[in-house]
Amino acid sequence: MNVHLKVWRQAGPAAPGGLVDYTATGVSADMSFLEMLDSVNETLIARGEDPIAFASDCREGICGTFGVMVDGRPHGPDPCTTVCQLHMRRYNDGDTIVIEPWQARAFPLIKDLVVDRTAFDTIIQAGGYTSVNTGGAQDANAILIPKTVADEAMDSAQCIGCGACVAGCKNASAALFTSAKITHLSLLPQGQMEAPTRVVAMIEAMDTSGFGGCSNEGECEAVCPKGISLKNIATMNREYRKALFANR
Amino acid sequence: MTSLKALSTSVGSKFLVALTGLSLVGFLIAHLIGNLLLLAGPDTFNAYGHALISNPLVIPAEFGLLGLLLLHIYKALRHVLLGRRARPHRYTMRQWAGGPSRKSWSSTTMAVSGVILLIFLVTHIATFKFGPYYPSADEGVRDLSRLVQEVFSSPGYVVFYVVAMGIIGMHLRHGISSAFQSLGLMTPGWTSAVLSVGLGLAVILAGGFALIPVWVYLFL
Repeated sequence: MNVHLKVWRQAGPAAPGGLVDYTATGVSADMSFLEMLDSVNETLIARGEDPIAFASDCREGICGTFGVMVDGRPHGPDPCTTVCQLHMRRYNDGDTIVIEPWQARAFPLIKDLVVDRTAFDTIIQAGGYTSVNTGGAQDANAILIPKTVADEAMDSAQCIGCGACVAGCKNASAALFTSAKITHLSLLPQGQMEAPTRVVAMIEAMDTSGFGGCSNEGECEAVCPKGISLKNIATMNREYRKALFANR
Repeated sequence: MTSLKALSTSVGSKFLVALTGLSLVGFLIAHLIGNLLLLAGPDTFNAYGHALISNPLVIPAEFGLLGLLLLHIYKALRHVLLGRRARPHRYTMRQWAGGPSRKSWSSTTMAVSGVILLIFLVTHIATFKFGPYYPSADEGVRDLSRLVQEVFSSPGYVVFYVVAMGIIGMHLRHGISSAFQSLGLMTPGWTSAVLSVGLGLAVILAGGFALIPVWVYLFL
């Protein structure tokens, strides 16, 4: 099948950008979205044109490297699916697909569909870890954690840091990303010791990185390819409230 | 971290929006109960109005409400402006996500509905609090009931009030449950209950306030 593409092309951060029309020909229904873009780039290279720049790594939906807006929705039409796991069988011959990069002040554009997500690293560096000297590996059952709590922590830890929550939020807020890490660590005994300082530091880093605040609309949860729930943001707000009282 | 600084972060600011908003909802509940006394007859309503205005705490309470309102507006506007600044370039194409998203016309128009409600509030206070003074048969008691009946004898005023109450309902539909989420009180077990109570309270308040001008126009 053939699909028409409208792809955001922008040579660099300061260069003007806009949608450019392409047609991907001979697209197989079994191709992934990325393979379709690869085929378009091969055509562009053969013609001596600049290929469409995009970042990708595992192509298995677990690294979070490739993330774009597809027809106005982060990661495209399928719920809980990264765009690299979107397959062309989702489309029909003659369809038009609009592809744009994440738009956020905290994610400055590098080129075409590639944005700089260093701001997420800044947030993690502010407190998304446990600074506990672990020593030798201890017995796995030495610290008992109820299965339900471990499951909840794992649900939060599923975040792959792709940035879809920021891209889908009207305020370009990083609340879901930040809260997923805060919740993950605050549920586990290893993370609870530093919970008050962590939540304050990570929220400050989130704000100073240029993200907006949370309006509690939940678009982030709906577009998250890992289904990170809005309850993480409630937990972050609760942890912040507790931290304020703990510091007094 | 000082408390003041803590309340100026994006999360701290939303604490204040939530706390001031819920306080104003508390005021609205009390205001509606008071207003519904109009249905019990003019004397009861006038006596209630007189008792309220004679209370020495009414002036501090009014300043308190004004403070809550100004803080709510300041923090909410700042939140909106920060959001705008966080996305300098808009998408060419945008879709609502659907699914578990709580995005609604109510949530997307919070700033607009807030500004309309502010304009309504100024008109409302000018019309009633600072409106014409009609003395009642009781010495020193203002005949507020007569003023209400005069104002709501105009169909234009009735429509204006009913529309304004619809807008307040929209504002509260997102606002009440959002406040609980902002304060971290929305735990998984309570989420659906909080969303339902938020919606129910928004409908009761908007419907209750809208009932009064319609009732007065039709039956008084």
